[in-house]
Amino acid sequence: MHALQQQYWAVREYLSPVLRESKFKEHGRITPEEFVAAGDFLTYKFPVWSWEKGDTSKARDYLPSDKQYLVTRGVPCLRRATSLVYTDADEEAERLLSFGGSGGPNDGEDEWVETHAGRAAGGDGAANPGEIHDIPDDEDGGLSGGMQSLSVGSGLGGKKAGGAEEIPPDLDEIPDMEEEDLEDGDEATAAPRSTPVATPGSRVIDSSEVEVAKGNLLQVRTYDVMITYDKYYQTPRIWLLGYDENRTPLTPSQIFQDVSADHAFKTVTIEPFPHSASLQAASVHPCKHANVMKKVIERMNSSVVADQLAKSGAPSGGKEGGKDKDKEGKKKGWFGRKSTGSSGTATPTGKDTPQQEEEEVEGMRVDFYLVVFLKFIASIVPTIEVDSTTAM
Amino acid sequence: MPIVQFSPFSSLVQPAFWHELTTLKIDVLRLSDDVIPISASYTAGRSIKDRETGNDIALGCNISVGADAFVKGFQAPSHSVGVTGIFKNFNTIEDFKQADKTALFNQVADEMWESVIKHKDPSLLNRFLLIAFADLKKYKYFYWFAFPAFVSKPAWEISSGWKSAEEELSSESLKAISTQFAALPNPFFLVRIVNNQPEISTIDKYQEFFANVPPSSQIVAFVDPSALPENPGWPLRNLLAYLRALHSSTTSTLRVLCWRDVEPPTNSSSWKSRFGLLEIGLDQGEAGARPSAVGWEKNVQGKLGPRMADLAPMMDPTRLADQAV
Repeated sequence: MHALQQQYWAVREYLSPVLRESKFKEHGRITPEEFVAAGDFLTYKFPVWSWEKGDTSKARDYLPSDKQYLVTRGVPCLRRATSLVYTDADEEAERLLSFGGSGGPNDGEDEWVETHAGRAAGGDGAANPGEIHDIPDDEDGGLSGGMQSLSVGSGLGGKKAGGAEEIPPDLDEIPDMEEEDLEDGDEATAAPRSTPVATPGSRVIDSSEVEVAKGNLLQVRTYDVMITYDKYYQTPRIWLLGYDENRTPLTPSQIFQDVSADHAFKTVTIEPFPHSASLQAASVHPCKHANVMKKVIERMNSSVVADQLAKSGAPSGGKEGGKDKDKEGKKKGWFGRKSTGSSGTATPTGKDTPQQEEEEVEGMRVDFYLVVFLKFIASIVPTIEVDSTTAM
Repeated sequence: MPIVQFSPFSSLVQPAFWHELTTLKIDVLRLSDDVIPISASYTAGRSIKDRETGNDIALGCNISVGADAFVKGFQAPSHSVGVTGIFKNFNTIEDFKQADKTALFNQVADEMWESVIKHKDPSLLNRFLLIAFADLKKYKYFYWFAFPAFVSKPAWEISSGWKSAEEELSSESLKAISTQFAALPNPFFLVRIVNNQPEISTIDKYQEFFANVPPSSQIVAFVDPSALPENPGWPLRNLLAYLRALHSSTTSTLRVLCWRDVEPPTNSSSWKSRFGLLEIGLDQGEAGARPSAVGWEKNVQGKLGPRMADLAPMMDPTRLADQAV
């Protein structure tokens, strides 16, 4: 049944026309050209992201052949999302993230709620990390049964999250070939320490160590995160491939531990990755992306426009005014820049009149789309640090 | 004095690599178990701040193989160091178990040592070996990596400990090194300070580059995949072996820079590179002979043994159908 559905989706995507007209502010969708522009901006600003070709037989012709999708590897995920069970008390911990950068008084409109800001893990969530019974079961109950029947991917045992829910690996299948005599002990090999030793003054902890202090279980997983362009929904789509602390690929059930309870099993599913012949990855279904992005963009855009109008309304004559604007433009961040003019980067100085300025106001630029998109995705996978942009 | 302990490489195999191997096995290799070339890559060590405790968490000293591992003319991703190795895929689990691992390992180590002694070529210092058995019906992959590293006898020692590179070199110098490194990216490189200005060069120019430079202005450097403050990454071992083998008269003390700032720090972060003064006693081995080598990767239990990747949950169509909504 699922295979049929996937076929249907593939055909539907194939048949749907390529979006040509840019209307990202009206409905939150973007054209492939805008996806490339936004991707170029993302890779330029945050070099952890890069373009990939993918499987050439799966290349989409509406995207440049060397810019089929975006990828960033080894994104850390320190804790399970299930250890961040959201309670009423946490509302106080909500933090407004400012996109404006400058933090000035008129940045209020640029803000975006980040939940769990600075929240110390505690209570039930931290005591039972990794258990998945907080995730609402599907009505028929068959789903959760199905999940439990999946065996642990790591296979080789080890400390796994959520012990009760997972079936121990079939030990018979692992070849019994430990060869401790293969090489002598080596004094110059740094052994993984069994107890966390916080070196004085440095406080750097190896990710393979499990920190149990303060009831704060740390299991550092890493994720490879991909962003593709979905032609049917005309939005970017995010894909996740996870590894546990021993660098073993995560199973679907383990990946769902890193998805916030509101989204696991509903909008996050395992699907064939479109740029590979056989790879399967977890993906956030993009059916709601356009709506959410539209709302976020609307809010941000109105503030950006207001800001730009305010700037253009201010007396700005002669070269001095132009310089001031340049400065402000920089301080404001990157998305407030105007794209008119030859290259879209240079603000014409000297000869502007306020009227011209008003015509030029275009609000948020589409380049910024993916940066906003990542902030939205970060709310679905709260513990995966996909949003490297906050480091700015 | 404390012995320098090196942080071993940890293999990170992307699922795409197993998919690629599956295709290769079915369409190209078939029953051949010949050794084939393979590529991997590593990046400078990274750490992440845990927002809840304020600790820095060092991410592993990872070396990663992906879908492009079998591609000829492999290009490492930007900011990464490419590594070549050899790959041997066995047809049965019995073959895999009974493989003469010591012979395979020694073959790689000999090859590395020969390129050092005969050609003074540092490009094979990061070589690796991967043996595997792919159970294609069950989507299970058994594999074992080895990263041969030459054992130095006596061991290297560090008297005053590792410190931040910024304490030894100024932030300006590091910036200059960073700029020059970006123009000449290399897993191993040399730094000399002339008139307070750092200059960098490749490791094979050791003699010319350090001629007439006082030892206190000489630094050997490498891209360090480790993020632990007290443990330099695995590649340093072979770099040190290389320098001892070829320039034994001038390398009994070495100033070492563990370069972890392949991506220069942004405003919110600081320089992560480490610096240490390493010393070694008189050589015991006979000159020119290959030192013993270590480097089989340990499994999840910390024992010398193979690892397994079970991709059934992500590949088996029946299982995927079960969890699909």
